[in-house]
Amino acid sequence: MQHSTRAVRRRPGLLLAAGLVSIGLLAAACGGDDDDDGGADTTAPATTAGGGTDTTTAGGTDTTSAPDTTAAPETPTPGGKLTMGIEAETGSPWRPAEATFAISGHMVAQSVYDPLMRGDDEGKVEPFLAESVEPNADYTVWTIKAREGVSFHDGTPFDGAAIKDNLDRHIASFLTGKVLRDVESVTVTDPMTVEVKMKRPWVPFNTYLAGTIGYMASPAWLAASDADETLKPKPVGTGPFVFKDYKPGESFSATKNPNYWLEGYPLLDEIEFRVYQDALTRKSALEAGDIDLMHTTNGETIAEYRESGQFPMVEITERGETGYTLLHVTQEGSPLTDSRVRCAMAYAYPNQDVIDEVGAGVNQIANGPFSPGQLGNVASNSYPLEPDMDKAKELVESWKADNPGVPLVVDLSTTQDQTNLVIAQIQQQAFKEAGFDDVKISQIEQAKYILTALQGSFQAFQWRNHGGADLDNQYIWWHSSSADPVGQLALNFGRIKDADIDRLLDENRGASDPARKKEIAEEVNEIFATQCYNLWGSYTTWGVPAQENVRGIGVMTMPSGNDAGFGVGIAGTFPVAGLWIQQ
Amino acid sequence: MRYVGQKLIQLVIVVVAVTFLTSMLLRLLPGDPAVFKAGPGATEEQLEEIREDLGLNDPIPVQYVKWLGDFLTGDWGISTQANTPIFDLIKDRLPVSILIMVYAQILALLIAIPLGILAAYRSGSLSDRAVNTAAFGMLSIPNYVIAVVFVLIFAIRLGWFPATSKYYNPFTDPVEHFQAFFLPVLTIAIGLAAGYTRLLRADMIGTLQNDFVTMARSKGMSTKRILFGHALRPSSFSLITAAAVNIGVLIGGTVIVEQTFQLSGMGYLTVFSIGVRDYEVVQAAVAIFALIFVLANFFVDLAYGWLDPRIRHARALA
Repeated sequence: MQHSTRAVRRRPGLLLAAGLVSIGLLAAACGGDDDDDGGADTTAPATTAGGGTDTTTAGGTDTTSAPDTTAAPETPTPGGKLTMGIEAETGSPWRPAEATFAISGHMVAQSVYDPLMRGDDEGKVEPFLAESVEPNADYTVWTIKAREGVSFHDGTPFDGAAIKDNLDRHIASFLTGKVLRDVESVTVTDPMTVEVKMKRPWVPFNTYLAGTIGYMASPAWLAASDADETLKPKPVGTGPFVFKDYKPGESFSATKNPNYWLEGYPLLDEIEFRVYQDALTRKSALEAGDIDLMHTTNGETIAEYRESGQFPMVEITERGETGYTLLHVTQEGSPLTDSRVRCAMAYAYPNQDVIDEVGAGVNQIANGPFSPGQLGNVASNSYPLEPDMDKAKELVESWKADNPGVPLVVDLSTTQDQTNLVIAQIQQQAFKEAGFDDVKISQIEQAKYILTALQGSFQAFQWRNHGGADLDNQYIWWHSSSADPVGQLALNFGRIKDADIDRLLDENRGASDPARKKEIAEEVNEIFATQCYNLWGSYTTWGVPAQENVRGIGVMTMPSGNDAGFGVGIAGTFPVAGLWIQQ
Repeated sequence: MRYVGQKLIQLVIVVVAVTFLTSMLLRLLPGDPAVFKAGPGATEEQLEEIREDLGLNDPIPVQYVKWLGDFLTGDWGISTQANTPIFDLIKDRLPVSILIMVYAQILALLIAIPLGILAAYRSGSLSDRAVNTAAFGMLSIPNYVIAVVFVLIFAIRLGWFPATSKYYNPFTDPVEHFQAFFLPVLTIAIGLAAGYTRLLRADMIGTLQNDFVTMARSKGMSTKRILFGHALRPSSFSLITAAAVNIGVLIGGTVIVEQTFQLSGMGYLTVFSIGVRDYEVVQAAVAIFALIFVLANFFVDLAYGWLDPRIRHARALA
């Protein structure tokens, strides 16, 4: 099963800010099949027992750790403990309405919490902890029924009141409240049922319940931690594992929930997540046997393991996030308000070279916000995939002709990560060659990065975002109603104010016809391409290499009998309930 | 006793100065500390409540006295990031860093003393040159490089030790404790030992030329007794001074090795807390580091008198 490679450079560690990014809004997603090396040499995807997701290979080898369908099926063995290396601090406080879960945070959260909905192996969401989630005829009322017989780890029953408490906290939350502003009320209609009344039809509302907003925490614990903040890092959910210990920035461990409602799960007695922010340290830990599995977006590591086969590796390449350079397009006095300047940058940027040089060619080049598997992803559009310096220079000259005497200066912001700096330097060189008078680079510490984006205090910004199960999951990021003035906190970081995008997002929110939804997503994609609102980079590939005896990565059968898919809310995550150790 | 009293007064002054600056850490940050603590989306009322709670509205001397009182009583506040009492965070991690420092210091001395004596005793010989060259080489390699090389060789290639680890109690899990600490400690100890070896060699060469050593030799005293019983003690001043001064180096070393080996001590906690802007944790950690440094130097000052009767007498006459 697996493979690897050899190489030792680093990749776009656009680890950046997936933090806020996942704020929970994003709903389910992800499963994946694969591809790799910029889309080259993909073999037929292997089927993972869990969900069909899977992966890639290079050189023809499949990289799924799940049992190969051509091999005799293995019988899962319960018991044991696995340690997983994750890429970032996991997300305290652990209360869903306050947490800024990045991918690592979702991995950890899903060990303790169950979402109301979960993505299947085709990327569609279906009820998971909820018995059912049904809309009325015009999608203005959603009825959520709690699953019978489920209790939180502290014994509190999971019921309608628990759902209401959790949703009300999200509505009141600074972070997730804006996502739910079309919710008018949440009402408990019987002990096991709540009705969520909308201000207008909201067709994809259920997709949000597969992410942070759908994580159900014990109301008793939430109330207790309101009074005693030291209880906040001790989450209580209904999930497959029960919180055991949390060391900030270091580890999170949880033990088997013996009363887990989903029959046959979890298989492990204990799971521990250990934080390794440095990708190479995480890799060393796997190679030294300190951890059993890890996730990574480090292109060099993924390429190495593909080639060498040193570790079985699942790859997740669909419905993931897109790495890109976010542009502030409405900042007063900024040249980036002019599409000619933005598109000149797009034409000048040698994107594929960056993917090859900095990321070992692992990621697939992006031409828009939607990754493979997402509605709206298209093979080609107006966005330039190949650099065209003549065109870039032409656009710059055109802008300068209209702005005589005004220097064309742009500030690129990046983190203190060396790889991200290299990308910024490549951009700097390309933009200068296109005729920019000056291109400055500002390195911002990680902790300040998200705040800078929220406040809109930037011109061009490296970022990673936009996974999700429906175009509607991007509403908060692109709609002008989220574009608060610079200095105020807004999730439409680039302050895009495009009437066509607004119209399409609003239409999509109420659209139920799949064909029309596809058209809408593709129209949005094309607007981004022609307006060059962002400089697209690559679609993120996640690798999950593991020791030889680790099984069940992403493998879980849901109550409906369908296989769970990779990535709930954000690519790179997978259910941990099905993990087991081959004895 | 008078000397000890003077040193204690100096100690208190230094501690007050250091803790005063540390307590002002939040004040020295650009922007409003309350905004950092509250996070995005806080209302002005919430910010004002935090300012009041942190005492930011009080005059600076009042803030310091309040901070000191809380610090001395173990009320260090709640970590913004971890929602955990800061005292508990530090209580769990301090032993890790102290053990790394103590082990590294002991290991460095265990390596340096015999090598320094050997090099001095055989000054100019092949073994002296070999020790000197090795020490010079070790001094030239930064410990973060040594750490990576150790991980590659001993963890990944040979599999003898973990590449990353966590704290194990030395009494209940001695083997795991040894495995977890060996590479981090050796990483720091190598550089220290190289410096100590060179210092001891130089001092010992001088000592061995003294009349009392010649006298001892003429009395037929064994070389071992001369070296360890008579020459080592007066040759140890530079070594002891360096050992004390190196507490600062050790603290810096622990920050690096704790990061490299993912051993969660004070250094790891401090770096993590800086990264997430949990400044109250940083404040407490810096205060602890400063106290360790000041106290270590205080005890070294006292040790001089024990090492050299001349200093004892001079202090008594002063």
